[in-house]
Amino acid sequence: MLEARNLRKTFGDMTAVDNISFKIEKGEIMGLIGQNGAGKTTTFRMILDLLTPDKGEVLWKGEAFTNRLFNQVGYLPEERGLYPKVSIEDQILYFAQLRGKSKKEIKPLIDNWLEKFDVKGKKGDKVKTLSKGNQQKVQLITTLIHQPELIILDEPFSGLDPVNADLLEEGIKEAQRNGASIIFSSHNMNNVEELCDSLIMLRNGQQILEGSIKEIREQFGRTKLFLESPLSTEALLQFPGVQQARVNKDGVTEVTLSQTEDGKAIFEAATKDGYIPTFSQQPPTLEEIFKRMAGEKHE
Amino acid sequence: MNKFWVITKEVYKKNVKSIGFLIMVLSPLVVAGIAIAIGYFTSQDAENAEAPTLAIISENPAVQEMLSQEGSPFDIQEDITTQAAAEEALLDESLDGYLTIEESAGSIQAEVTHNDSLSDYIPVLNEQLATYQTMVRANELQLTQEQVLSLSEPVTVQESIVNIKDGELVTEENNDTFVQEFGAYFVCIGIFIFIMTYASIIAEEVANEKGTRIMEVILSSATAGNHFFGKLAGVILVILTQLAFYVVVGVIGYFFAKDLSFIQTFLNEVDIWSIVQQLLGYTIIFFVTGVLMYVILAAFFGSLASKMEDVNKSVTPIVMIALAGFYVGLYAFVSPENILAVVFSYIPLFTPFVMPFRIASETVGTLGVWISIVGTVLFTILLTAVSLAFYRANVLIYSDSGIIGTMKRSWSVMQSNRKAKKAKKANG
Repeated sequence: MLEARNLRKTFGDMTAVDNISFKIEKGEIMGLIGQNGAGKTTTFRMILDLLTPDKGEVLWKGEAFTNRLFNQVGYLPEERGLYPKVSIEDQILYFAQLRGKSKKEIKPLIDNWLEKFDVKGKKGDKVKTLSKGNQQKVQLITTLIHQPELIILDEPFSGLDPVNADLLEEGIKEAQRNGASIIFSSHNMNNVEELCDSLIMLRNGQQILEGSIKEIREQFGRTKLFLESPLSTEALLQFPGVQQARVNKDGVTEVTLSQTEDGKAIFEAATKDGYIPTFSQQPPTLEEIFKRMAGEKHE
Repeated sequence: MNKFWVITKEVYKKNVKSIGFLIMVLSPLVVAGIAIAIGYFTSQDAENAEAPTLAIISENPAVQEMLSQEGSPFDIQEDITTQAAAEEALLDESLDGYLTIEESAGSIQAEVTHNDSLSDYIPVLNEQLATYQTMVRANELQLTQEQVLSLSEPVTVQESIVNIKDGELVTEENNDTFVQEFGAYFVCIGIFIFIMTYASIIAEEVANEKGTRIMEVILSSATAGNHFFGKLAGVILVILTQLAFYVVVGVIGYFFAKDLSFIQTFLNEVDIWSIVQQLLGYTIIFFVTGVLMYVILAAFFGSLASKMEDVNKSVTPIVMIALAGFYVGLYAFVSPENILAVVFSYIPLFTPFVMPFRIASETVGTLGVWISIVGTVLFTILLTAVSLAFYRANVLIYSDSGIIGTMKRSWSVMQSNRKAKKAKKANG
């Protein structure tokens, strides 16, 4: 279990991260979202003890994170890189050895992992002969093959096509089933919604959102209403609290409300004559929340 | 396996297997091979060259006998005995020249007529004829063999070179200085070549890992110290491999080549064994500390580069320092007592280039040598400590602001980490 308590890091006058706290249980996946420069990488580096926090601490299974725990970590940095002139197999073996595994332990696993991630190329091939996507998958294998208990993935999905993104998702879920605590950052909110048990959002080094995805979305109220009913958009705009109403391409009317309660009056009016096919009042999507929160001016 | 060794092994394997290494190791051998081949063929040529043909026109066959003896540089044409026959032979190019000898009252008058191919042989001819004349005179004077020998006994001249040391004249052995200076020269060039090669190798290693962000993965797997020293050890092993290869090739080559005549001439002039002894002395200390200092410095500067392409820019300061050392070294070769050479010989980064020349010219005492050795060793330790401290912070900084900008930011990261660690310790 990973716990971060009140992390703070400054470089000179610049505060990179301020007062960040979170907890990731065994077998749990946490998403870390935020715009570029929000402090995600600094947070990862503090977890990995590459940077020492000015304030606060990182605990792994209740103790301070130090060199001794290196072998339990799998880390994929944001910008990808491997040794171009080294073969896939040697590369995987080298990183696994750096994580305290022996060649003997890892060698028999390589074929299986290459197959699992559908890497095009033989294990004797030099990395530079692979396509970018395949290189990225090889790097993912080096991050996961030693079965780390703490997995940190900085933008693991960037640059992957949907098929490969699914393979990666499957890989992350498998690690989760094996009991790993996983933290990853992403700009793609679909991946985050799909995978994460919990989430924190950073803005300018501040933690502005936290909790499970459901909790966070509910925080914003069920202000999205999808409706298929006899009510016209003109009629809908007359209701109190309706900010916007428009008919989407699929014929469903999308209404933006000021607060959750505003939906009740519309429901009653829409179902006055009985059955309607759609009345779905939802909180904003993660993507909408992200855009809204990122866009708000920092006080 | 210990992570230090995992890194060392990786660096070693990757570099030794590379084509660049092969070229680097073999190219001096190729150059040496070409030099030896040229030497060999030239000496072969000289051995196989045909002796010039010479006819002797004389009433006394003794001269002809003497010049026909084994070891004579001339091919004597015994069947040509008259000037007319000789001129005819000269005309159809079957003869290079003829020697006309007239004796009157024990005095020899000789005249050589030739087609300009005998010019180099005139001194030999002169010497032989002089010997002949001595014999003729000795005969006339009825001297015994011993008396002749005692007349022609050469004078022996003994040479002693002295130096003024502590107000006294000290004799030095001529050969020794030559060998020492040769050794110093060798070290100066050797250190420079090794520094240039291996500084760029290690800087590339580090910058490459930093540029590809492999560094972050490694530093979350192993400590910065493990990585830094692992890299260093790997590169040092590569250097040792190269040196060992040369030693093996040198020994094998020595046994193969020592019978070749032109190599023997060389061996007679230079005492290989005393060069080896010279190399095993102070020289090796300067070689080791010199290469070590610069390689550490290169790892440090390599960690300042943000991407692979910046490596050359970031190792430029090292190249400059090494180049300055190299030139001061060459200057010290010519005037070892110059104040510049003396001062530079005590500055750690220049010591390996300059001090060997001062030792060779015996312008520095044992105390001075040891002061400079202790100085370089302490400096190497200090350099390692500083480089390592910066290294941890350097590798996390990607900046477009050049070396100075990166160092500034690295310094602030270092300070920030240090302060944070101190605060943590104070809190418990």
